[in-house]
Amino acid sequence: MFKPLLILATLFSFPAIAAEDVTAMLKKADSYRLPEGSSRVETVVELYRDGQLDKERRYTVYIKPGRRSLVLMKSAAESGQKLLMLADQFWLLMPDTQRPLRITPSQKLLGEASSGDIASMTWAEDYDGTVVGELPCPPKPAALAHGAEDGPRSCLRLDLTATRSGVTYSRIELLLERAGKLPVKADLYVQSGKRAKEAWFETGRANGQLRIMAMSLVDDIQPGRLTRVRYQRIVAREAPDEFFNPAALVRNSLAGW
Amino acid sequence: MSCRTLPASRVHRASRQSSGCAPHPAALPGQAWPGSPFHASSRQGLCRALLIGLAALAIGFTSTAHGIEANAALTAAPVWESRAAASPYEAGQGTTRNHSRQDLELRLREGGFNAQATLRWQTAEGGKPEHHGFANQAYVDGDLGGGLGFTVGKKVLSWGVGFGFRPLDVVQRENRRDVAPPALVGLPLLALERFSADTAWTLAWVRPGHGAGANDSRDSSLAFHGYRLVDGDDVHAVARLSHRRGVELGLGATRVVGEEWSFHGAALYQRRYAKTRNTLAENGGLLAASDPMLATPQRHGLKAVAGAQWTSGPWSLLTEAWYDADAYSRAEWQRLDALTARQRDLAGVAPASAIAGNVAWSSQAYRADNLLRENLLLRLAHDTGDGVKAHAELLLTPTDGGRVVTLGVSHEGDRQRLSLGLRQLGGKPDSAYAQSPLRRIAWIEWRWALF
Repeated sequence: MFKPLLILATLFSFPAIAAEDVTAMLKKADSYRLPEGSSRVETVVELYRDGQLDKERRYTVYIKPGRRSLVLMKSAAESGQKLLMLADQFWLLMPDTQRPLRITPSQKLLGEASSGDIASMTWAEDYDGTVVGELPCPPKPAALAHGAEDGPRSCLRLDLTATRSGVTYSRIELLLERAGKLPVKADLYVQSGKRAKEAWFETGRANGQLRIMAMSLVDDIQPGRLTRVRYQRIVAREAPDEFFNPAALVRNSLAGW
Repeated sequence: MSCRTLPASRVHRASRQSSGCAPHPAALPGQAWPGSPFHASSRQGLCRALLIGLAALAIGFTSTAHGIEANAALTAAPVWESRAAASPYEAGQGTTRNHSRQDLELRLREGGFNAQATLRWQTAEGGKPEHHGFANQAYVDGDLGGGLGFTVGKKVLSWGVGFGFRPLDVVQRENRRDVAPPALVGLPLLALERFSADTAWTLAWVRPGHGAGANDSRDSSLAFHGYRLVDGDDVHAVARLSHRRGVELGLGATRVVGEEWSFHGAALYQRRYAKTRNTLAENGGLLAASDPMLATPQRHGLKAVAGAQWTSGPWSLLTEAWYDADAYSRAEWQRLDALTARQRDLAGVAPASAIAGNVAWSSQAYRADNLLRENLLLRLAHDTGDGVKAHAELLLTPTDGGRVVTLGVSHEGDRQRLSLGLRQLGGKPDSAYAQSPLRRIAWIEWRWALF
């Protein structure tokens, strides 16, 4: 019975919403994913195939302002691998060679868990766009629903385009909860214009604050595949700039950071 | 005659067993081997190796509680080699040996301390199984403040750019064309390093106090690597001073263009280098009573590589060309081919053992990393994004029409990875690769990450 009211409200309020600053909305949405500019994020990536857990990967991600990320692979199968992202430049260190390897943005997308999905946790620095509509927030697909859904909510639909090269997705259709700008869902498009993944965000509370606790990625290109990225722990950490030097990847100086 | 130890998986080194020496299939420069404290070829040795393995596992299971980062993995890598009986360089000693390497590898990290050790059990057709343990790396990284740091110990130090060949890799000198290569073994060194946001340099004293060595990896040297990120381009500079090579100076760079393209190039100048040639091929002799393959000093050598890589979706295409002054020229191969033909013509005149021995000595030319100076590599790779990767490689030696085709596929599960590969050597009948005693090589590598 609430849906017609929501639709009416959408029709009358949209012009005012469109005038809102999209960048401010994205910054607010980002704050649910990454509360601090410089952070260390403990991430667990679960890869499901046809509903069954296929693989689990663990990462420690150091993030600094200026689109700098350093991903340390912690799982037994990937231990010692590191990925460095400096804006739209990427380097990979394989433990067997002990030599940083420069990779292209396209190579960054290869592999099972796209490193871009792990290393990038903000939109405001990389995307701009417009509010293109308001709609009732869609319910999560049954496979992703954990516990009771919230009551009916209104969502803003943002059409975002990458403002920089090297980002994982060139276009994003993002649904934010209208009231708090909480991310709900995102359709992620690659450069060819094809939708690659559908992302659903899970919320929870950490240290009394509302946070995005996990992101589930439904793969459009490989049906039956689901990737769940869980943010286990996010702490403020200002790792030194020299750790973000590609040549420094071979050193083991991140202990204690 | 002294016998050098060489990696088994270097497919170019097809005649290593037919030389009359029996270098161990997986012996690497710098690793422990007969006579080392960890060598074990008896039941007692096996027990000792097992105890070390169990201790490693115990460390792994208890390390988390003590803040030590530990990983262990098991690897099994059987290799099947098919020999070319019609090759002029096949000494006919029945030395074709399939072999297999089984490794238990342990890595430990705690603060700035790093250690990597391997327990290896290996078998070779016609030989006794052997087992031994050695440290791949054991070093301490320390910080001196202000971005300055130091490293002391045994460490893998890989530098430079390139896929099939890396001219600037002047310290580690990894052979990039190995199949199912074992983990690298580092070199003892003292290093001073400095890092800022976009600049880094390393000054390393490799094998300090060791003096002149029998080969590059055993030679004491002073090596420098500088790195700078310039407008998005990686720029590398290296310099090395050693007894064997004198001064080596090199520059390299990598540039990424757009989303899909990357280009790289590097060149290294060497004041001195040595080429192992058969003296009979140079002086017109026919048969030698002792090894006629001698290192001939050369001056002003050049190594260079240039390549481009394109990646789009799951596909990736690499093309790379390189020049290696250490390798034979076409004319040098022709002289060696002519000598080998003359030696073969002596059948029935000279003792068969003398002919076979001389052919085996000549076949040491196949031990080189690159058989010819000029090389061209094409590599097409596909990544399904579902743990399955495949690649096809074509290595060409344009000056003599030789070629090497390599096919490989791998699957990575949660903790296990299985790789299969096949390599075929061929080309024009008189090319170095087509005349190689090794015709085909197939391998499997199974790796299981324990923790």
